[in-house]
Amino acid sequence: MESLGHPRRSPPTDDDEAIARSLAGDLDAYEVLVARYSVLAHRTAAMLGAADEAEDVVQEAFVKAYRNLTSFRRDAPFRPWLLRIVANETHNLTRSRGRRDRLAARLTEAVPPLGEDPEEAAVSTDRRARLLDAVRTLPERERETVVCRYLLQLSEAETAQVLDLPVGTVKSRTSRGLARLREEVARDLI
Amino acid sequence: MTSSDDLEARLLDLGEFLDVPSPPPDEVARAVRARLEVPAPEAPAVTGGRGVLRRGWGTLRAGGRARRRAVVAAVAILVALFLGATPAGRAAVVEILRFAGVELRIGDPGPLPSWAPQPLPGERRVTLEQAGGQVAFPIAVPTALGEPDEVRVSDSGRVVSLLWPGLRLDEYDGGLLPVYRKELGPPWPMETRVGDAEAQWIPAHHGLTYLPRGGGETEARPRAAGPTLIWRRGQVGLRLEGPGDIGRALEIARSVR
Repeated sequence: MESLGHPRRSPPTDDDEAIARSLAGDLDAYEVLVARYSVLAHRTAAMLGAADEAEDVVQEAFVKAYRNLTSFRRDAPFRPWLLRIVANETHNLTRSRGRRDRLAARLTEAVPPLGEDPEEAAVSTDRRARLLDAVRTLPERERETVVCRYLLQLSEAETAQVLDLPVGTVKSRTSRGLARLREEVARDLI
Repeated sequence: MTSSDDLEARLLDLGEFLDVPSPPPDEVARAVRARLEVPAPEAPAVTGGRGVLRRGWGTLRAGGRARRRAVVAAVAILVALFLGATPAGRAAVVEILRFAGVELRIGDPGPLPSWAPQPLPGERRVTLEQAGGQVAFPIAVPTALGEPDEVRVSDSGRVVSLLWPGLRLDEYDGGLLPVYRKELGPPWPMETRVGDAEAQWIPAHHGLTYLPRGGGETEARPRAAGPTLIWRRGQVGLRLEGPGDIGRALEIARSVR
């Protein structure tokens, strides 16, 4: 279906073009942007505590992002700007229901790489499961930074933007979280 | 003792093995688009100089998240129907609201439709007893009006219509998919109640289109409808067309047994 005033064009190839066209009201272009970041947005919402309401959170975040696109600085990266909206929506949700589901994610069964002993693969899976449990027991502030930095693989600067914290705070919370995990690891011999 | 680098590597590895279920990205994109195509209530995309509509009833954005999810799905369907079926620029729709199986398009609908009323799909006359065996919900009869002069069942039992002189009560499965579409301008609908149930009184004459089960909407022609009360009784949607004022409409609606 054609959007009025926008004859169908080829899909935007990068974020900048997609954003420029979305700002001009081209919803085809915005669909491309949503599809591109959908999986990451769901991961972020679920791992920050939205659990089974991640889908609602993500939709709401994309709608808000579109309506606030004019406030996006074009020379800045889109990813942390979007994920901050996702994190905010997740916080709104968890505040409103008075609880936060910790890090909703499933550990996938690892398919043992060729040549790896299935028994060893089972041991690796078990170690991952126990590490995940340890992350889940971290205090919320430390858990959030550890989730962003490692499980979502965001940089310190991105984590700071997404969680709306100074970079120094991200550094200190991350290192406190790692120290606590290290204790757990040592105690549990995981 | 695990070194810091080792722990960091293990956390990164853990992230690779974590699975978060999420719907297919193109479905998410379509759902978001559908929501963006419906004007936000606080800032309608089409105002036509009339200003922002303010009425005391819920809009598509109201309600809980679960309800919103259902509404979003419905809106996606409505938007698809709307864009597929309405010639561009024909009518300025300021808001689309759904209530009790009726889609209300509120804005500037232009002149009332002049098509002669057509029967609903498969419409046929039956007795009240026969109707009871042909529809999947209990048929409500308003005691204020007594036995209907005529009873009709349409669209394979989806709708039952009770008729009295000048009055028509349609009862239908008021689920997620809209059964009727009303296109209306001012005076705006009023929120009221029938017992515990929310109701809407539509005082204006308006265009009414029946949306057949399983689509086929393009063949349905709108007809002009008079003032109408719509409300819900359990899962059943009801529309009472023809009472001259809200007082009479509510009197009839409240007598439904």
